[in-house]
Amino acid sequence: MLKTSFRYLNLLFFTLLILLTFSFFLPYLFPGDLVTNMSGITPASEQQRDALERALKLDQSIAQQFKLYVENIYLGDWGVSTTTNTSIFSEVTEVLPATLELVFYALIIAIFIGIPIGIIAGLKHHNILDFTTVSFSIAAYSFPVFWLAMIFITVFCLQLGWLPTSGRIDLLYDIPTVSGFIMIDIALSDVDYKSQAYQNAISHMVLPTLSVAIITMALFIRFVRRSMMDVMSKEYIVAAKSRGFSSAQIVFKHGIKNALIPILPILALQVSTLITNVMIVETVFAWPGIGKWLIESIYQRDYPAIRIGMLIVSVLVLVMTISTEFLTRLLDPARENVEHATV
Amino acid sequence: MALLEIKNLSLFIKTGTDNVKALDKISLTLNAGEIKALVGESGSGKSLIVRSIIGALPDAWSVKADRITYDGQDLLNMSRDQRRQIMRRDIAVVFQEPTSALDPSVRISSQIQESIPDEFIDKGFFWRRIQQRRQISISLMHKVGIKDHMRYLDSYPHELPPAISQKLMIAMALASEPKILITDDSTRGMESTTKTQILRLLTKLNKTKNLAILFVSHDLLAVTNMAKTVTVLYCGQTVESGKVKSLMRKPLHPYTKALLDSAPSFQVSLPPKSSLIALKGTIPTLQHLPIGCRLGPRCPNAKKECVVTPIPRKIQDHQYSCHFPLHFPHVKGPDKEVHL
Amino acid sequence: MQRFNHYQEEYYPSPLMHVWIEFRRSHIALVGFVVLSVFIFIALFGDLIAPFDPNLQNTNAILLPPSWEANGTIVHVFGTDSLGRDVFSRILHACQVTFGVSILIVIIAAGIGVGLGVLAGLLSGLRSSVINHLFDSIMSVPTLLIAIIIVAILGTGLFNAMLAITLALIPQFVHQTRTFVKTELQKDYVILDKLDGASPMRIFFNSILPGMAELIVVQATLAISIAIIDISALGFLNLGATTGMTELGQMLSQSLDVAYVSPWLVALPGLFIFLMVFSVNVVGEGLRSALRNRLKL
Repeated sequence: MLKTSFRYLNLLFFTLLILLTFSFFLPYLFPGDLVTNMSGITPASEQQRDALERALKLDQSIAQQFKLYVENIYLGDWGVSTTTNTSIFSEVTEVLPATLELVFYALIIAIFIGIPIGIIAGLKHHNILDFTTVSFSIAAYSFPVFWLAMIFITVFCLQLGWLPTSGRIDLLYDIPTVSGFIMIDIALSDVDYKSQAYQNAISHMVLPTLSVAIITMALFIRFVRRSMMDVMSKEYIVAAKSRGFSSAQIVFKHGIKNALIPILPILALQVSTLITNVMIVETVFAWPGIGKWLIESIYQRDYPAIRIGMLIVSVLVLVMTISTEFLTRLLDPARENVEHATV
Repeated sequence: MALLEIKNLSLFIKTGTDNVKALDKISLTLNAGEIKALVGESGSGKSLIVRSIIGALPDAWSVKADRITYDGQDLLNMSRDQRRQIMRRDIAVVFQEPTSALDPSVRISSQIQESIPDEFIDKGFFWRRIQQRRQISISLMHKVGIKDHMRYLDSYPHELPPAISQKLMIAMALASEPKILITDDSTRGMESTTKTQILRLLTKLNKTKNLAILFVSHDLLAVTNMAKTVTVLYCGQTVESGKVKSLMRKPLHPYTKALLDSAPSFQVSLPPKSSLIALKGTIPTLQHLPIGCRLGPRCPNAKKECVVTPIPRKIQDHQYSCHFPLHFPHVKGPDKEVHL
Repeated sequence: MQRFNHYQEEYYPSPLMHVWIEFRRSHIALVGFVVLSVFIFIALFGDLIAPFDPNLQNTNAILLPPSWEANGTIVHVFGTDSLGRDVFSRILHACQVTFGVSILIVIIAAGIGVGLGVLAGLLSGLRSSVINHLFDSIMSVPTLLIAIIIVAILGTGLFNAMLAITLALIPQFVHQTRTFVKTELQKDYVILDKLDGASPMRIFFNSILPGMAELIVVQATLAISIAIIDISALGFLNLGATTGMTELGQMLSQSLDVAYVSPWLVALPGLFIFLMVFSVNVVGEGLRSALRNRLKL
């Protein structure tokens, strides 16, 4: 147990190190002049170039630079965006909660609706209910997320006019940012139009959340159903039936646990797909999250921002993946003896 | 008095478009306190019969039978709950693969305790009941010959050797003090010492508890010491059944004879360097079952009549399904009844 | 002794035939197969069917609705866009680009990935473990994210997007192939080959490769559906195909501005992406269950 945790911490550490190294060398890979990319200023003279190099500490050795980079990342000094000239750290702390909020709600929907449906479909497979579920899930995970988002906009915002197309909340509502999570912020604020603010925030949130959640849910349904079908035909289930246990006892004690454990890592992988989908959906709905922010900075060729954005998103994905993997290892007794931790 | 009676059990498996008759009118009776062997090669449908008795059938399977009764109660026409109660208390099954018949994610102690019926636990506070369950499960483990119970109680199934798992399976089967124990080829692929231990354990249980055992096996010789009566299966058809002694001395069906002949120790006069006796061909797959007597294409005595399924016929306790039984050269046609 | 046989000969289909027989059983898979064939046909001959040049701007017919609406014309079957270009021709052309590019990408990625995977599988020890761990961590990052990173480095454009997605798809093939080769190498029939003195190359080509082909095909269908979505997503985000080219994702992003006036410009390109991915997924799923059923019997 302790050994396993240590192994995973180790893996996490090295993965983070690799990502840091990669993001450190990223500016060297970008096309164009290194100094220009890092500062956003095209040096007019040799003197200016030298001054910029000194300011960016490019005159020091690579090892020294890397040490400095890691230190700065740790201290929260993430550099300055070349387009907006504001601190990247403050920009990220502003946009990251918005993304996490979307991820969180979509995941909640996918888990609490997708997994039960998958279990039911896996139990009663090959009937009309199962057939509909399977058709829905194949169709849903074939949907390109941006098209689904656009259809939602066209139908619910433009044609029916029920819901707003973009943003997190109307500018009318002046909610001070405390945590960055709009729902928490509204609760914390002392405005007297709380219920309207909630309503407004939710109406902004429904479509982006649904467009991401539907696709993730479909994938969850598919994996859970397959796994449940496999488990229910296992010999230990037959053995449990031969002992006359009730169906509920069989499904809950022996079925679900065994069906979910092997697919937890696969479901964890879907979380990373979910994050990419969220990034795309953010650009469609102009949701002020890290995906929109990162893609804007790619348009603007704002290299310091791209560098940090990449790092943050990949760390987010990897931390989620490794922690689910760790959780699986703890839950699955048969995997205790596996030697090395892998992602 | 027949404790378990199966009459004309047919089992159909749906594969795509066609419905394959995997079991063809199997009949079987098991009396109280009797050890009965059910013998057939792999693929002969032994496990299908066991599954039909349990009632745990995949969707693609369907069962048709004149009757399957336990102690006079019809298993096929009772409510699911009633059937579950019978499975819970009176019939227990030990499966072929002990390691895959145990839930991999639940500890052994909890799996054994789960099979102890609630009725065996006195009413009391919950810690008292937990303690009782623990004691019962330990004594069950002792009963099947696992001495160091502490070593295994907190283990997961994948940590156990197969022999221990098999004993645990028997322990769990005995937890409800059943009337019938069905062992589904439980000794397959085991080391001979473990095999002997388990066979001895089963014989002892039969003697002391008057437990009726349906011993399903692929090995005709292994059952001869233990069982009184035997039923031989081939490809989902009953070939021959009767007392072990009379069947061994005078097999009436060519298949039984072939099975006996295939064991070299039974052939007293096998000349050196002669080829071993075996039926030609291989067991047909489910998709390619021959019509009529399924042994037909492989049978040394097959004639034109064998494309019709033979009616089971009886000489005293000895029942066989063959148009041209061995040792009865005077029986010619398939339509004549034999009276002896 | 019997003189003639009363019984029918047993018939065993070849493995490939068996897969087809199993595949044919599922009606949905067959429909998917037909749709996929149509897309392959479009990818090959799309330009020949297209009634107009995809970039021809007809200023007299701007934002015409499709022909099934009251004021649509049969000349422009799917109507026209905001520049008066024929949507039907544009979609045919865009399908050609999106689908053709995806298949090309997957073929290249499969070639490289399978090669590396076989290498990693055949070589044991440190080298293989390094490749394995490296690719395992890359595997957990979604391909689209990797593609976005690579596009950020290389700059936008269809070629860079193709390169990015190819690179992003390779790890999956490496991983699958490596695991397959590793497990096969442990099986008895390979040991039998070794005992016969076969060289590693011979073992690979004669024993392992034939069984691997199916795995690669199944993995490739999965990769194609990912590639289609990724290519069109990059096009949609204006990171892939540039304005000069016609690509389904890019068509969608252009239609966003006129979505209120002409919703069919949102509906049609997306529908084609969806149908493409759907048919590939359905065929892939059909193949997978056909293989599973074959192995079960």
